[in-house]
Amino acid sequence: MQPSYIVDSANAPWKRSASEGIAFACQVLLSGEDGGPEALRFRFDDCPSVYAHMHLTSQFQLLLNGAMDFPRGVKHLEALAIHYTDHNMPYGPFAVSGNHDMLVLHPQAGGIVSMANRDARRKINLRGRLFAALAADSEWQPLPGAQGATFKFLMPPDFGSAAVLARAPAHAALGMPAAEFGRYEVVLEGSVIMEGREIGPPGFRYVRGVQAAEPLVTGEQGASVVFLTFDRDALEGGITGEGLAVEAAAAMARAI
Amino acid sequence: MTAENRESAGEFRVVVFADFVCPYSFLAVDQMDRLARDYGVKPLWRPHWLHPDTPPEGAARDRNADNAARDERRHAWFKEMAPEQYPRMRFPEKRHYSFRAFEALEFAYDQGLDFPYKTAVYELMWTEGRDIGEIETLTDAAERAGMDPAAMKHALDEHLYAERAFNAVNQARELGITNTPTIFLGKTRINGWTYDEVIESVMEQQGVRPKVALAS
Repeated sequence: MQPSYIVDSANAPWKRSASEGIAFACQVLLSGEDGGPEALRFRFDDCPSVYAHMHLTSQFQLLLNGAMDFPRGVKHLEALAIHYTDHNMPYGPFAVSGNHDMLVLHPQAGGIVSMANRDARRKINLRGRLFAALAADSEWQPLPGAQGATFKFLMPPDFGSAAVLARAPAHAALGMPAAEFGRYEVVLEGSVIMEGREIGPPGFRYVRGVQAAEPLVTGEQGASVVFLTFDRDALEGGITGEGLAVEAAAAMARAI
Repeated sequence: MTAENRESAGEFRVVVFADFVCPYSFLAVDQMDRLARDYGVKPLWRPHWLHPDTPPEGAARDRNADNAARDERRHAWFKEMAPEQYPRMRFPEKRHYSFRAFEALEFAYDQGLDFPYKTAVYELMWTEGRDIGEIETLTDAAERAGMDPAAMKHALDEHLYAERAFNAVNQARELGITNTPTIFLGKTRINGWTYDEVIESVMEQQGVRPKVALAS
C-alpha cells in the first residue's frame, strides 16, 4: 500500500494568527509531524511586504485567489498561479492583495526561516531553483485518450518538478504516473472521487511511491485538478536535529 | 594555479550587468565595492538597458492608485532588504534615460576609472536625486571619479562612445540577461540582487578568499 493522504480543505478549521506583524488566517491541513507531507492554507490580509523567508524543503505555493507581487524576477502573480522553490531557496519580500488565498504544499515539514537571520543566509541553496507562472499564460491542449478532457503545463516539462492542470468532464479517470518523490493532486473546480471519497475544491490527495496511485475520478460536474509533482529535491533538507532546522520548526509552530 | 595565485593575479572575473536606473543595482554597488576591497577583484560594470523606450528627457510616472500601491510596496521591500541603505535612498519621480550614462561609462573605461565612475553615478541618482539623463550629472560624476569633466562633456556631446555603448547593450541581450543586476562571479551567475552572505559563499565555493584571510 502506497502512502496517501486525502484532505477535505473546505471543511478544515481556520485559525487567525500573525507573524512578524503580518496578519492571516490559516488552516493546518497536514502537519508533517508523522514524517509525511506538510500542507497549509493561508489567507493573508492585504500587506505590502511579507518578510523574505525560506523553507527547509521543496515547496509549491498554489495561489487560489488574489495576487502576490515580488520585487525581483517573478514580479506579479494572479490566481490561478504557482510558485515553486527548492529547499533552502529564499523568496520575497512580497506583497499580498485582493482576498489572498493560497495553498502551501511541502513533501515534508520545512519550517520557516526569516532572511533577516544572517547566519541562515549562509545556508541558502546556491543551486536552488525558483519558478513561478500564471495558469492563464499557458495554453490548453487536448488530453490524449480522454474525450473532452484538456490539460496545460504550468511548468516547463523538462524542469524536474512538474505542475500540470487538467480539466475533465464527469466520470473521467485521471491517472498519473508514479510519484517517487511525492505529488499533490488538488481539486480546483467541480469534484473528484478519491479512494471512495468525494472531495471538492480546494481539497487534495498527496501520493508518493514507485507505483502509480489509483486514478482520480471526476464527479457529476466534472473537475479541474492540478497535479504538483516533486522531484529529487524533495529528499533534501527537512526538520533535522540541527540548529537552523530546530529554529525553523519553532518559528513555523509560532506562526501557525 | 591555486586560488590564492589566481586571486593575486587578479584573474577572478566579476562582471555585473546592470542599469543605473535600477534600485536593486544600486544595492549591488556597495556589495561590489566591498568585494573589490575585500577580495582584490575588479568588478567590471556592463550595461543592461532596462527601458530603451525612455526618451532622453525621461518619462514621467502617472500618479494613480496602482502606482501609489507600487510605491508603497517598493518602500516596504527596500526597507526590509537594505535597512542600511534605505534611509538615504531617494526614489525618482520619473524614469531616467540611462543610455547617455552608458556612453559615459565607456569613456570612463578608457580612462581606467569605470569602477569609481559607476559608483559616483549611482550615488548622484539614488542618494542625491540627480537626473542621470542630464549631461551635467554625468560630468559631475566624472569629476568625483577623478576625470576631466570637460573631456567627458565633449565625448557625450559628440556621441563618441555611442556605438560602443550600443554594442555593449546588445552584448547583454545576446547573453540572455533579463535581470538587473545580473552578477557573474567566476563561473557562477546570479540573477538579480542577492544577500552579501550569498556572494561570500559563492566566492568561498570557488576557492577565492578575502585578502585578510590570505594575509593571516
